[in-house]
Amino acid sequence: MSDSGPPTTGSPYVPHSPAETQAMLDAVGVDDVEALFDVPDSVAFDGDLGIDARSEQAVRTEIAALLGHNADLTEFLGRGHYGHYVPSLVEDLSRRSEFLTSYTQYQPEVDQGFLQALFEYQSLLVELTGLDVANCSMYDDATALGEAATLSQRVRSVSGDRILVPEHLRDGKRAVLENYVDGPGCSVASYPMDDGCVDVEALAAAMAEDVAMVYAETPTARGVVEERAGAVGDLADEHDALFCLGTDPVAMALLERPADVGADVVVGDAATLGTGTAYGFGLGLFATREEYLRQVPGRLVGASEDAAGQRAYTLTLQTREQHIRKERATSNICTNQAWVALRAAMHAAWLGPDGLVDLAEDCVTRPRDLAARLDEVVGLQAPVHDRHHFREFVAHVDQPARVVVEDLAREGYGVHAVGDHRIQVCATAQPPQREAGFVETIAEVA
Amino acid sequence: MDYDQARWTEGARYEPLLAEKSTCEVDVADGPLPDDLTRDSLELPDLSEPELARHYTRLAQMNYGVESGPIPLGSCTMKYNPSFTEDVAAHPKAAVHPDRPDQSVQGTLELCHRLQDYLARIGGMDAVTLQPPAGAAGEFTGIQIAKAYHEHNGADRSSVVIPDSAHGTNFATAAMAGYHVVELPSDDDGRVDVDALEAAVDEDTAALMLTNPNTLGLFERDIEAIADVVHDAGGLLYYDGANLNALLGRARPGDMGFDVMHYNVHKTFATPHGGGGPGAGPVGVTEELASFLPRPHVRRETGAEGEAGAGTTGFEYYDPAHSIGKVHGFYGNWPVLVKAFAYIARLGDSGLRDTSAKAVLNANYLAEQIPYDVPFGPFHHEFVASAGDQDAADVAKGMLDHGVHPPTTKWPEIVDEALMTEPTESESKRSLDHLAAAFDAVAGEADGTLADAPTRSTARRIDQVGAARDPQLCWQRLDRSDFGN
Amino acid sequence: MSFDVPADCRYRESHEWVRTTDGIARVGITDFAQDELGDVVFVELPAVGDELATGDDFGIVESIKAVSDIYAPVGGTVTAVNERLRDEPELVNEDPFGEGWLLELDLADGAELEDLLSPADYRDQIE
Repeated sequence: MSDSGPPTTGSPYVPHSPAETQAMLDAVGVDDVEALFDVPDSVAFDGDLGIDARSEQAVRTEIAALLGHNADLTEFLGRGHYGHYVPSLVEDLSRRSEFLTSYTQYQPEVDQGFLQALFEYQSLLVELTGLDVANCSMYDDATALGEAATLSQRVRSVSGDRILVPEHLRDGKRAVLENYVDGPGCSVASYPMDDGCVDVEALAAAMAEDVAMVYAETPTARGVVEERAGAVGDLADEHDALFCLGTDPVAMALLERPADVGADVVVGDAATLGTGTAYGFGLGLFATREEYLRQVPGRLVGASEDAAGQRAYTLTLQTREQHIRKERATSNICTNQAWVALRAAMHAAWLGPDGLVDLAEDCVTRPRDLAARLDEVVGLQAPVHDRHHFREFVAHVDQPARVVVEDLAREGYGVHAVGDHRIQVCATAQPPQREAGFVETIAEVA
Repeated sequence: MDYDQARWTEGARYEPLLAEKSTCEVDVADGPLPDDLTRDSLELPDLSEPELARHYTRLAQMNYGVESGPIPLGSCTMKYNPSFTEDVAAHPKAAVHPDRPDQSVQGTLELCHRLQDYLARIGGMDAVTLQPPAGAAGEFTGIQIAKAYHEHNGADRSSVVIPDSAHGTNFATAAMAGYHVVELPSDDDGRVDVDALEAAVDEDTAALMLTNPNTLGLFERDIEAIADVVHDAGGLLYYDGANLNALLGRARPGDMGFDVMHYNVHKTFATPHGGGGPGAGPVGVTEELASFLPRPHVRRETGAEGEAGAGTTGFEYYDPAHSIGKVHGFYGNWPVLVKAFAYIARLGDSGLRDTSAKAVLNANYLAEQIPYDVPFGPFHHEFVASAGDQDAADVAKGMLDHGVHPPTTKWPEIVDEALMTEPTESESKRSLDHLAAAFDAVAGEADGTLADAPTRSTARRIDQVGAARDPQLCWQRLDRSDFGN
Repeated sequence: MSFDVPADCRYRESHEWVRTTDGIARVGITDFAQDELGDVVFVELPAVGDELATGDDFGIVESIKAVSDIYAPVGGTVTAVNERLRDEPELVNEDPFGEGWLLELDLADGAELEDLLSPADYRDQIE
């Protein structure tokens, strides 16, 4: 049979033979399975949903055809979603069914493997951030930032209900933050930037007693390496506000350690490792100081001992979580991104410290080199900010950015339009071999 | 069936940590950035690919997934995850950047649009957003929608009513959204007491959050009266989709009077749970609430309807008029949504109906076979047995030695020493008989024996108290010096 | 099971005890309460100098699977907290009326003690 199974008259994933079904009905003491449904007729559904069953092969063909409508675009896109090359080892081993099809580790004795991998993920983030505690994941960087803001409302030494964020914050992130702080009744305000980095004087002027948390990013949404994170940390400290720093594991391998610039909380997207481009699919990283341990949202894995005296791992401090503390939980998060965290940990292990630092250094040199090449193009100046960049940079185009982006798309390349005459280019989204064609094409359209 | 889980040991630990095998400290100076912008050094595990392959293979062997055996955790719906959906989600054309213009991701948008449509049909809802990345995120989205709706109508409502049998996430979600929680005690039959509900709702009630069938597996037969009470008070009815597997193709929240609901695709629609996630928690709403959905939302391009060639050029994002804003930085857990779409398409109407039929049959059959009392019924896809004089946690540990994962224990609290059991439709009669044998064996064991369990899993009973009293959450905290090489 | 209910303490229905010596009231949770909670893993207490009114929830006691608020049986100013509980929360289980005490209060109004349960009344409540 060429197809992978007929359109069924039932679920292909239900194992019951008719004889088994009958035996089970007999055991239960009913003639028909319908008798087991205690649903009043007035709300029962007896119509058709109008969804046709297809064979496995037909579904694959159909989805491939649908996705075929996506244009072929060589993406020089970043702005919060970055696809670094993911080694096959990650793809292969993360898909082992013992990992992929397991549940949250409520019975740690049979789930040591995943628990250990998550413990190793937490340890990786502790090493990178220099902070004491990292959880085993939030959904993405935006929701992790939201959780950091709500944490600032629970920490007793902090009072105030204003959250300060950089003016260059990506809209998607800010919109999520605003939803998260709506409940606690906080307001979000932005502080200005100075040529791509924090305008420290302006931030100092904006600081007041009602600021609960200051957020800064490195690299920023424009790809700038933040040079003044330490000054932001000092300002937050002076005003008894939390300092939350947004970054990612690749950047942390090279840039100043978040703990060294005074970060109280580190958030960001760890899917820069282990996932690749996946339409915004993320992995929220969340790390903080020991003193806020009991205010941490999400799951934590700890080391302990089993009855045989061997070291063993288990979910711990669960009294913070919704299934025990209900409306007083630190967050409602339950299902998280554990498997994505496993993949990030695998990818980091595959790179090793040398490989991780090399990758991070590439993220500095490649945008530097690409910006220099674009700067030579008539009608284009790059980078706009006279700063160090990570992965990406903003460039000025004499023509309307919208037009340049559309023309590039027609030629098969994707970049961001971020202003009337500004585009943003992520240099690390493609293998280096793709750059020549890109530079050539942009020279034609710009 | 006998079962011994893999157990790799070296010294006083199971498979050593990566950091115990080999680490390397790299000097980060002399890079492309000035020293004052960089860290000094980085120390991380440093192993070759063959060593890593072995490490993660061993870790996998020391883990239990639903392809290892049944996981009848109540309210978790751990069903079989078809392999082909992984391949579909890994299609190279699915790997697109979220900031692409609409015209260049028409395939992605159409797939989203079709999934929105399928979910709307299944839930009896008018519009669906795919953005929430998990069930709890879906709850938060739904409650924020309810809040925005009331505010839009000038109503100042401060509380959310939740039955005592509800999932903890409901309480946490309502609190996160800034609501005061009013807890509703269940009646003697384990369901919502309509009189108590009537007394609990008033002009302050923003919503009632309800799971149906509830966590005891019981259908809330009075759902229409419940909906009337809440609606008459001006509140909205929220459906927690955790137990939708029981009703697939047979009853729809929209038809029961629910205004807003979330779907747990990692439960009902077979996307793998991945040891804790990722999931996805799409939210469905009635027409009246559609303008409050998160932004952006996918629709057919205005004017494109009915035109020839629609589907190649016909989908776009737009911002609903009164959108609550965003609940995920981009568009949610996209690869998970692709898997859910593939699963629903594979099953179709008859497969979905068969799913709920066998899920309910399996729960009823298993309950019939086990020696423990099930105080509430008639139940659907899950039941809550009581371990009676035994400690439910000990029962669970004992079951691990029989090659099965135990049920959810000690919850909901309405049943003493609860064993909340949901076998799902994926288990065969043979598998259910094996599960029943495990229950049976453990029921006959003395407390002392159970206190020593498990013995055949990778780890023996783990000291939870020690883990919590002295939290050691990273390898930097552990004494790695005695690692025996 | 028989729980310890010392005769020299007064009790609140929510299972806190108070014992007064020279105007200083020492407060803890009862043997019954610690048994209900199971192994205590963490105790959160107020700061010295905090003012508590009768019935205020002043801290929490956590076990692996439960979190309980602790309420002030009487009002007063916190003069001491049991620092040992930071590293040895198990003292609450091992010796709830002794080494596992929680805090000491400078009583605002000694007459409030009369409103609390006597040992006999508290025993009636828990048995």
